[in-house]
Amino acid sequence: MKKILNINSWLFILLLSVSMNAQDNKLLIQSKLNGRVVDEVTNEPVIGASVSIKGITHGVVTDIDGKFYFQTGQKFPYTIIISYIGYKKKEVYVDGSPVLVELKPDVQELNELVVVGYGKQSKKDITGSVVSVPKENLSRVTASADNLLRGAVSGVVVTQSSGSPGASSSVRIRGGSSITAGNEPLYVVDGILIYNDNSNASAGVSNAGASVNVLSTISPGDIESIEVLKDASATAIYGSRGANGVIIITTKKGTKGQDNISYQGYVGFQKITKKLDLLNASDWASLRNDVQASIGQAPSFSAAQIEELKTSGGYDWQSAAFRTAPVQNHQLSFSGGDERSRYAVSAGFFDQEGILLGTDFKRISLRANLERNYSENFKFGVNANYSNSISNGLANRTATSNRNPNALTTLLYQPPVVPIYNADGSYNLNNNPYATAVNNIIPNPINDLENTVNETKIDRILTSLFGEYKVNKEITAKVAVSGDIINTKQNYYAPATTEAGAATKGFASVGNRTVSSVLNENTINYNTRFGDDHKFSALGGYTLQYTQGEVVNAGANTFVNDNNEFNALQDGVPVKPYSDAFESVLKSWLARVNYSYKGKYNLTLSARADGSSRFGSKSLWGYFPSAGFSWNIIDEDFAKDLKGVDDIKLRLSAGTTGNQEIGNYLALSSVGSVNYSLGGTIQTGLAPTRLANPDLKWEKTTQYNAGLDVSFLDRRVNLVFDAYYKKTSDLLISVPVPLISGYASVLQNIGGVENKGIEIGLNTENIKTDGFSWNSNIVFSANKNKVTEIGNGIEQFFPIVPNSTLLQQQPVTVKVGLPLGTFWGYKSDGIFQTQEEVNTQPKINSLANTRIGDRRYVDTNGDGVITATDKVSLGTSQPKFVASFSNTVIYHDFDLNFSFQGSYGGKIFNALKQQLEISTLGTNASTALLDRWTPANPSNEIPRATSSPLGIVTERYVEDASFLRLKTITLGYTLPKGIASKIGTKSIKVYVSAENLFTWTKYTGFDPEVSTFEQNNLYPGIDIGSYPNSKTFLTGINVTF
Amino acid sequence: MSLSKRNKKNKTMKKIFIVFILSAGLFVSCTELEVTPTSFTTTENLFKTQDDAVASVTAVYASLTLDPGEQTLFGRNLYFLTDMASDYAAAGVSATNPQVRALSSLTHDATSDRVQVAWRQIYSGINRANVAIDNIPKVSGNEVIKTRLINEAKFIRALLYFQAVRLWGGVPIVLHEPTSIAVESLKSKRATVEEVYTQIIKDLTDAESLPSTYGATDIGRATSGAAKSILVKVYLTRKDWPNTILKAREVINGGYGYALFENFADAFERTKENGKEHIFSAQFEPNQAGNGSSGINFAATSFTGFTATEPADIISDVALFYDIYAAGDTRRDASYMKQLLNPATGTLYTFPKPLFKKYIDFTNLNARSNTGVNFPIIRYADVLLSLAEAINERDGATLEAHELVNQIRRRAFAKPILTPNVTVDLVGRTTIQLREDIREERKKEFVQEGQRWFDLVRWGTLVTEVKKVTAKNSVSERNNLFPIPQSERNIDPVGLPQNDGY
Repeated sequence: MKKILNINSWLFILLLSVSMNAQDNKLLIQSKLNGRVVDEVTNEPVIGASVSIKGITHGVVTDIDGKFYFQTGQKFPYTIIISYIGYKKKEVYVDGSPVLVELKPDVQELNELVVVGYGKQSKKDITGSVVSVPKENLSRVTASADNLLRGAVSGVVVTQSSGSPGASSSVRIRGGSSITAGNEPLYVVDGILIYNDNSNASAGVSNAGASVNVLSTISPGDIESIEVLKDASATAIYGSRGANGVIIITTKKGTKGQDNISYQGYVGFQKITKKLDLLNASDWASLRNDVQASIGQAPSFSAAQIEELKTSGGYDWQSAAFRTAPVQNHQLSFSGGDERSRYAVSAGFFDQEGILLGTDFKRISLRANLERNYSENFKFGVNANYSNSISNGLANRTATSNRNPNALTTLLYQPPVVPIYNADGSYNLNNNPYATAVNNIIPNPINDLENTVNETKIDRILTSLFGEYKVNKEITAKVAVSGDIINTKQNYYAPATTEAGAATKGFASVGNRTVSSVLNENTINYNTRFGDDHKFSALGGYTLQYTQGEVVNAGANTFVNDNNEFNALQDGVPVKPYSDAFESVLKSWLARVNYSYKGKYNLTLSARADGSSRFGSKSLWGYFPSAGFSWNIIDEDFAKDLKGVDDIKLRLSAGTTGNQEIGNYLALSSVGSVNYSLGGTIQTGLAPTRLANPDLKWEKTTQYNAGLDVSFLDRRVNLVFDAYYKKTSDLLISVPVPLISGYASVLQNIGGVENKGIEIGLNTENIKTDGFSWNSNIVFSANKNKVTEIGNGIEQFFPIVPNSTLLQQQPVTVKVGLPLGTFWGYKSDGIFQTQEEVNTQPKINSLANTRIGDRRYVDTNGDGVITATDKVSLGTSQPKFVASFSNTVIYHDFDLNFSFQGSYGGKIFNALKQQLEISTLGTNASTALLDRWTPANPSNEIPRATSSPLGIVTERYVEDASFLRLKTITLGYTLPKGIASKIGTKSIKVYVSAENLFTWTKYTGFDPEVSTFEQNNLYPGIDIGSYPNSKTFLTGINVTF
Repeated sequence: MSLSKRNKKNKTMKKIFIVFILSAGLFVSCTELEVTPTSFTTTENLFKTQDDAVASVTAVYASLTLDPGEQTLFGRNLYFLTDMASDYAAAGVSATNPQVRALSSLTHDATSDRVQVAWRQIYSGINRANVAIDNIPKVSGNEVIKTRLINEAKFIRALLYFQAVRLWGGVPIVLHEPTSIAVESLKSKRATVEEVYTQIIKDLTDAESLPSTYGATDIGRATSGAAKSILVKVYLTRKDWPNTILKAREVINGGYGYALFENFADAFERTKENGKEHIFSAQFEPNQAGNGSSGINFAATSFTGFTATEPADIISDVALFYDIYAAGDTRRDASYMKQLLNPATGTLYTFPKPLFKKYIDFTNLNARSNTGVNFPIIRYADVLLSLAEAINERDGATLEAHELVNQIRRRAFAKPILTPNVTVDLVGRTTIQLREDIREERKKEFVQEGQRWFDLVRWGTLVTEVKKVTAKNSVSERNNLFPIPQSERNIDPVGLPQNDGY
């Protein structure tokens, strides 16, 4: 009852104070000041803070509710000074009562708590490499949580795989440590362990295209903090899932004190960053004439026709496909709490249209975080998140997608002389002499984009319940049960007028995938001190995670009309359905001990034992120990003399972690169905598809880390430096076995990869004056990756790229001694200029008819012919280093945030460029072909026009992907407290923001941040048909009531 | 707080504590680490019933026509080696795989992906056969059916080894399923050509006891006639004329009912598949290889629609291989098409070069990758010509040898097959002349049927014949065999020495 009164009275005071403000000012002769001091971050009252009026000695101290009261002869206005240990001293200009003062915690304060695995730890005592994402990054405007990590923390590389709304990105912490198993970090969201496997959001519907990012189901606005755990001391507590690093996401919780209602919203639009330079109609007509000539055919266009095309201009298919697309986001949150209960409830709505026709992403998210102190010893709570997202993506083609994987590439290849629309405004579906009609339809890619349905709907419930029981002062027990349910429905429909639907008169496919995971965690914490010098804590626990999933999909074609799309499969002719189910169990024991002597020497030992159903029957359990040591040098006597140095800390750690992201059941043999027609009907045959490997187990990563944290110049400069060496062994590789066994490969723990690198985080306060401040944050990481062993004496293999054109080119290799994602191809050497050269110099053996004007390749092994053995490494997609430079400038009520991001030394295989530089009779090409070799233009760069679309991997198409980008820039204005409160709010901030405003790069594709094959480690950095990136412009408002 | 309240609270706290412990304990005990898959069978659990045995043999057949993500063995992949690497077929402009072009120009090497895939597909089929042969004896079921199934598997195993031994020479002989994943145990060194043939003949001899016909639902399975016919080809390849003649006569006179179609084009007509001339065919069916694909690629790769763009599979030299058909020889227009009626426009479209035609289903021009024309592995015409060849080689150009060739010719010219015809019959040919005649007939008869390279190698004329095609003048004696795939030699360089010239 008392509590309820409290809340009510607070609400009352709040409302009263808001409404009475104006009158108070006028009536006062001798001022009375009511005030309250709270923590800016947590909103908790600050008890015992001293408040004084500037210039006079009179001072008071805040009470248990953070409140204070003054009576003074001073007239308003005047300035008060508030100070409290652990917070930055603050001066506040007051011209009336009451006043709310928010104190900013001094982030350099040594007792700052940092979230670590299964708990929190004092920053001073930490031995591992744990970095928090700066608050500025968390307020960044984005659709998906993983984008908040971009450029935020050294050692973390986030690569966007496509610009599609809601699309996935790959996150690498300290490089890729695995070849075939997953390389994504483990996410821990409010204690729930999640591996961000995008396939969980795919029901396997044919032609679905780029996958939807599972992390996009969490609203970024709900995130309170993100911690990145990088070294073994920090991650080994996560055992067989720690090898790729761990990202801990904590959502916003309520705090004791005021109730807050806040609204955050923005609206804006996005535009394509650039278009590709393609031939115009007249240039294309000339090219086609040259191609015709190369096969001895008459020209297709007369000189007069070409001249006419120069004036008529042809058709710009690219412009027809891209649009300026709106984006909006709204989030309403309620939070607060009293002595015993705390709550945070929010609802969010995000709506983004894609810059490419027919694509969009919508999300509704709801969250409720509640916590209740049942008694002094027992508290319980719930964190519940529900989200519903719907995305429409760029669909893949039905065909075995060789050079033309989707409608985006089709439109780029579309001859510019082919009209997009008919005279009546409808789509041109037959007037195209350069393509073959199928069922009287010549597909039009713009029509394909607009009318193909490729929808993914995800419902996700992520919820955890916990109870925490304080057995005594030193021992706390905690039980948590959480659930993660992802229910995905996919709908696909290609109407009869589209490429994918023409041959079969419509093609529909629907699919459903449900994955649910239940996690139970039971932990006990023990905290004690022996005397003043010895601090000791221990953690022990047992956890169990059970995951199961079911998949089903079905399809049909040959519909009478397109009216019912995918919702009436029964009206068509069914195609083969599919269903699948899987389950996995992970049981774990975990323990950690922290010991700190005099605050100077800190030791952390941790261990985890994981039993996983994914492992073979002979190696069900894995053990993952780690040790970390840190030394606060600054506390040593000899360090006292170091002038200007405020902190020095040395960290050393070593440990072993694992990776179990290998998929389910792979230790078991399996039988798969294969068909054969007997008696004129298809019969199901069963064939062995996999050999059993009872020894199959986790991948093992041993990591060593040395770090140095230094602060100087009154903590205005803070440096965090880390160097690491990560060696992964027992790598799961599908080892090629003799094909005579009937199998191509067997999954074995056989390979090795190493990563070594350095990371620098430099945080500086460049300017700090009364009304003006400038802070910067520089993040730098360099990682070197190398494959050390593949197994069975094999030195090199070529991953199968799932694209028939690229597969045959074998553009990527895994080779001992080289990094993962190494591009492999021929070095080129200009163009054959004379028949003499053609006759005498080495030619590529498979191009029997090499002629003058063809590209020349380097005979690296000197055997006189160009064969596959002349291919060499053309670089890797992994950058030499990545860096970011973020700034916050505050001038009175204005704040400016801008952040540059850059990447240096990585390569991208621009397969799209390669295909656009191939001349054919029926497709458009890059403007590079304007400089093609002809007898009159003896180019040494671009070969002659031919009709043979043969792609060769050369350094011309393995491009430098280095870039520097003004990633974000935001200008905000916070209304003065007085004005804000006059209109009934606690604070109002308005801002304008732009993303990807400028990019400096030599890369010639749409965007250097690209990876068509998404999270895959074997062939990253290939660009063919990826959804282009966009520039975004936003304006928004944050209001707290 | 009153005492009673405090006691109550303490009790509650105890309860909470117990719930705590219980909940933890509950989860600990209820789940096992070893999970049993519910969506697939492990190999160990497969062979229980007769149906399992049948399914395992269906999978053996499927190795001929199905390989998800790849061109199928008889659907095109063997064709790269046995036709494109011979004289008459070539890689057209649409062939974008450099390795395919290399085979076409006979400049391929041991890294050729097509050669490797063919090797893999053949041994994958052999392994399936081994699995069936090893395990079928232990299933419960009708012993007669079980024996039949084992013999069917032996037939396919022999057929695959027969391809392998001709393509690569002595290859490793693997006759049992692998029992361990240790690489050493999976290796096996090259056997001699003699040993491989001994094994082939052994399996085919067992397969001779297969039924000669099947009920409607089993049509397409290997028959005793098929086993004998493949044996004809084996003995012919080995130049074992007496056995060739013996086996061929068993096929012809054994009461199997084989005969030539009166109309040559019927051999590639979907409605006439598994007819009297089809002794054994790889069975293709729409949607067999998954949604919208049948596994036979020729329709899609020989004809890319009504455009001037050259398809991937194309005749190498029109003068040498198209213009050679005499007027009235129906085989030309059944094997190639110079023109085709475009149903969309109603006009006759003329291609720059004649296209291959045998596997195109004209009732389904739009879904060319999903047509179901069977691939004839052995036709009765082949048995007749093989017998003619063997008689001519052993006994000279006898009347019987003449008659066998003439039956093929009469059918080609749409004349009554068994009635002598003065306009088309060959008469009074010498052994040498008849040898040439037979070779000429085989060239015209078996376009796109995977015979040409085997024929040229058997006759020892590969280099001279292929050299006649300008774009293929890189041919040399090494091309009488294909290279052992480099990837295999990387794993076992000792056991798998490379063929000469690679």
